[in-house]
Amino acid sequence: MRVSYNWLRDYVDINISAQKLAQVLTMAGLTVDSIEKRLGDSVLDIEITSNRPDWLSYIGIAREVAAITGKKLKMPSAAGIRGEGARQGARGKVTVKVEDKKLCPRYTARIIRNVKVGASPGWLKKKIEAAGLRPVNNIVDITNFCLFETGEPMHAFDLDNLSGSAVIIRKAAKGEKIIAIDGAERLLDESMLVIADSALPAAIAGVMGGLKTEVGNQTKDILLEAAYFDPISIRRTSRLLALSTESSYRFERKVDIDNIQYASDRAARLILEIAGGEMGEFIDTGKIRHDKRAISLRYERLNKVTGVDIPPSKTRSILTSLGARVKSLSRSALKLEAPFFRHDLQSEIDLIEEVARVYGYGNIPETIPQIVEKGARLPFDMAVDNKIREILTSLGLSEIITYSLLSKPLLLKAKISDADVIEIKNPLSAEQEVMRPSSIAGMLNSIRHNINRKTKSLRLFELGNVYFKEGADVFKEKRNLSMGVTGLEFTGWTDKSRGVTLFDLKGVVETLFLSLGVVEFSTREVKDDTFSPAACSSIEVKGEPLGIIGEIDPEVLDNFDIKDRVYIAEIDCEKLLGFVSLEKQFKEPPKYPSVVRDISIVVDKNISNGQVISSIKETAGRILKDAQLIDRYRGVQIPDGKTGLTYRLEYQDLKRTLLDLDVQEVHFRVVRALENNLGACLR
Amino acid sequence: MKEKIKEIERSALAEIASSKNSDSIEKMRVKYLGRKGLVTELFKKMGEARPEERAGLGQLINSLKGAVARALDEKASVVSGSGGAKIEKIDITLPGIAREVGSVHPVSKTINQICEIFISLGFRVVEGPEIENEHYNFEALNIPLEHPSRDAFDTFYLSDKPVACAEPLSKHKWLLRSHTSPVQARFMEKNKPPFSIIIPGKVFRPDATDASHSFMFHQVEGLAVSESVKFSDLKGVLTIFAKRMFGEKIKMRFRPSFFPFTEPSAEVDISCILCSGAKGPAARDTRQKCGLCGGKGWLEILGAGMVNPRVFKNVGYDPDKVAGFAFGMGVERIAILKYGITDIRMFFENDLRFLKQF
Repeated sequence: MRVSYNWLRDYVDINISAQKLAQVLTMAGLTVDSIEKRLGDSVLDIEITSNRPDWLSYIGIAREVAAITGKKLKMPSAAGIRGEGARQGARGKVTVKVEDKKLCPRYTARIIRNVKVGASPGWLKKKIEAAGLRPVNNIVDITNFCLFETGEPMHAFDLDNLSGSAVIIRKAAKGEKIIAIDGAERLLDESMLVIADSALPAAIAGVMGGLKTEVGNQTKDILLEAAYFDPISIRRTSRLLALSTESSYRFERKVDIDNIQYASDRAARLILEIAGGEMGEFIDTGKIRHDKRAISLRYERLNKVTGVDIPPSKTRSILTSLGARVKSLSRSALKLEAPFFRHDLQSEIDLIEEVARVYGYGNIPETIPQIVEKGARLPFDMAVDNKIREILTSLGLSEIITYSLLSKPLLLKAKISDADVIEIKNPLSAEQEVMRPSSIAGMLNSIRHNINRKTKSLRLFELGNVYFKEGADVFKEKRNLSMGVTGLEFTGWTDKSRGVTLFDLKGVVETLFLSLGVVEFSTREVKDDTFSPAACSSIEVKGEPLGIIGEIDPEVLDNFDIKDRVYIAEIDCEKLLGFVSLEKQFKEPPKYPSVVRDISIVVDKNISNGQVISSIKETAGRILKDAQLIDRYRGVQIPDGKTGLTYRLEYQDLKRTLLDLDVQEVHFRVVRALENNLGACLR
Repeated sequence: MKEKIKEIERSALAEIASSKNSDSIEKMRVKYLGRKGLVTELFKKMGEARPEERAGLGQLINSLKGAVARALDEKASVVSGSGGAKIEKIDITLPGIAREVGSVHPVSKTINQICEIFISLGFRVVEGPEIENEHYNFEALNIPLEHPSRDAFDTFYLSDKPVACAEPLSKHKWLLRSHTSPVQARFMEKNKPPFSIIIPGKVFRPDATDASHSFMFHQVEGLAVSESVKFSDLKGVLTIFAKRMFGEKIKMRFRPSFFPFTEPSAEVDISCILCSGAKGPAARDTRQKCGLCGGKGWLEILGAGMVNPRVFKNVGYDPDKVAGFAFGMGVERIAILKYGITDIRMFFENDLRFLKQF
């Protein structure tokens, strides 16, 4: 709320500067966002929390300033309207009927006849402008002025345009429409409360008046409304119509129901003063009885919650300065009645907060809690995430974070199925319409973003959730790791540069798994639209598929406008976690030396490395420690349709030194098996 | 003895100066500095000198040894430089060959830093789901449906089926959590106090994206519950956190505020890390106002408070027997302040020129 320093001084003596006042208010919970200097005044922009609707008025803020600075609140006069000396209004024929008492527990209508509508006097215009509004005419400006002064929204109708001189507070009929004072036509529904005349809605209750009954220069007689509307109803209406006003903002936070007549009197007094006219009838559907809330505050509890000994006398003076009345006193507790305008004071903790707030958070000491937490550490999955970050960054990959929400067309571009995607009901834009079922689209977006900025060699990874529907309406989320590489492999200035290959990425996966203690990693060819059919495999551990690795389909790359080849792997972290073992077990290094033998063979092109390795392992048995492909060759020295492969086999016996003869015998069998089973020829 | 040293020095320097190639330099090296070299022999003979002379002699021989070694090295470099030998010199100014390491995302890095600080203060790290329901996101936390206090928590809802128009609000509708606080309620339902936990995670709010707003960001939530936790404990813990995160010199300020799930509630500011408040409200010239704090002198870093007894009731705790404090902070906000980042969108653009700086 915008609060003019000069205007505020009408209600409380302030002998500190606007700057100092801003600081005092901020430390009392009325955060001053900015101070705007204008024409010898300072306008404070105060952020008011939703629990304090009483601060949405000058009187409310003045009351707080008075409490903090030890001054007295000066209530503006509404005298001369009621009681002694009041001008009695002539009886008319205006009727008020509330059809929905629940949504409108109290409605007052005051008639003022023969007003002279015109421009507001200078002082009033200034105040309206300070509040950030545009002056309209004296009647409208007075209702707005009183809204800011008292916090009670009011509305003036042109009585002549209320057909039947009737005011009916009812729910709108289906399909009913109203042109509001902003000139826009709005379609109403049966949940919305309206102020209607005998025929049509004349105002959207608590939100905005209607154009037809607006007060203008030709207006003679007015009906001044001051009422209380149900906060939830106003909030719903305001939301459904996407129309938030100074009025609706206050009604949905609850206005002070006991303040209605005072506000109406105050406005009437100003109208008579400024616009003249004669008092007509005042119709009030009745005061509402409240339960007077008596709340106990135990001193011990106060000190236990705050951690500081606040003397009972101090406690009492803080609460009474805020308008609470002491009902009873004892050595250990205080019983208080909260004022009506403090809806937020309901229980002991609310009073504790008030005392702490005014006592000053700055006066509460700093201590350290005495809690012994047995599990003060990261959970296993987060520890593994960090281990993954450590390994991948040391392998040159950089971590990215992409949006969990994206558009359907983006999924289509990446050829990712949207069959089980979770849709967002209220996205702000198409970029947020679904939750990502995979992080590949985001990875490709990031790759494109960097390539467009001339960073073409990229090694990236992301750890984050993917989301999908299981069955009709079970929503699932699960942790996912994606890795992507493109561009040139790093070779420094030594050699000719070369592009990254699928095997650079596979190497990353292998090293990662090894470091996480994940063993028995294998791949199996699979089909996936996002990946090129030439290179797409599942990532499996102990036969269980955990993810996918491959080259991105050229069409997909085209859709993303990426010219270079891109290789991506995606791994289900929840499944992976089941295989991770970060505990290390010592094994004594072998005592006996190993024997190394190489085999160079020529095989048919269709024979895979995997087949050769399994054949070697099967035949060599226990003494084979390791078998590694060290060279692969296709070219002039190899017949067409064939591949030359060289393997390095390491033999070792843990119990004795291997003799040449032992190795020779096994090695011979290995070669024979390759010849017989895979049609290999020794080179 | 001293004569002998002088003599060896003269002959050594002369011979080294006249040597022509690296072979002869190496021979000189052996002749003077080798295991049985002339200089080495001098050291052995020191034992024969009188004790009061020994220290002085030792120094002399040492400086002789240094002078000879220097002369040898100098000559050697001259000889190889003039093509006297076949050694190909390496251009050591060529760059080293090692792949650059990658970088951890500043958000992950900041989350880890925050977690480390709180772990050292005895907090346990726990997690919770990003897909939530209204109960945990709102009601359990004393945020009633259709209440203005929900305005601060604009929320993405999930559509179970295509929905054409607004429908009456029902319980247990699914949504994307708009804060990490629902994990508080989930944790308390399953655990008994005392405990102290922190909860990092992703959150979502349908905010229009600009330099300081993002519809997806990260938070870290904290919660400590025991028989005796108090507001002063909250101040103590958060002060330690802020000083470790932003430096010992910063000042702290706890301002009263409102959150439905805490009472009393506070917003916590640190003194501006750029201007330390020097260009604060006192600065008259608005052009001089600090760009980071906007002239306020303070930067808001988190929200906090004592757990509202209603929240305890909702999870089945007796509010008269336990007390707790809770706090929550935006990770991007912390990183923006710590590193001076100018635009929140950079966190999700994933430009390597940005990422590599962390």
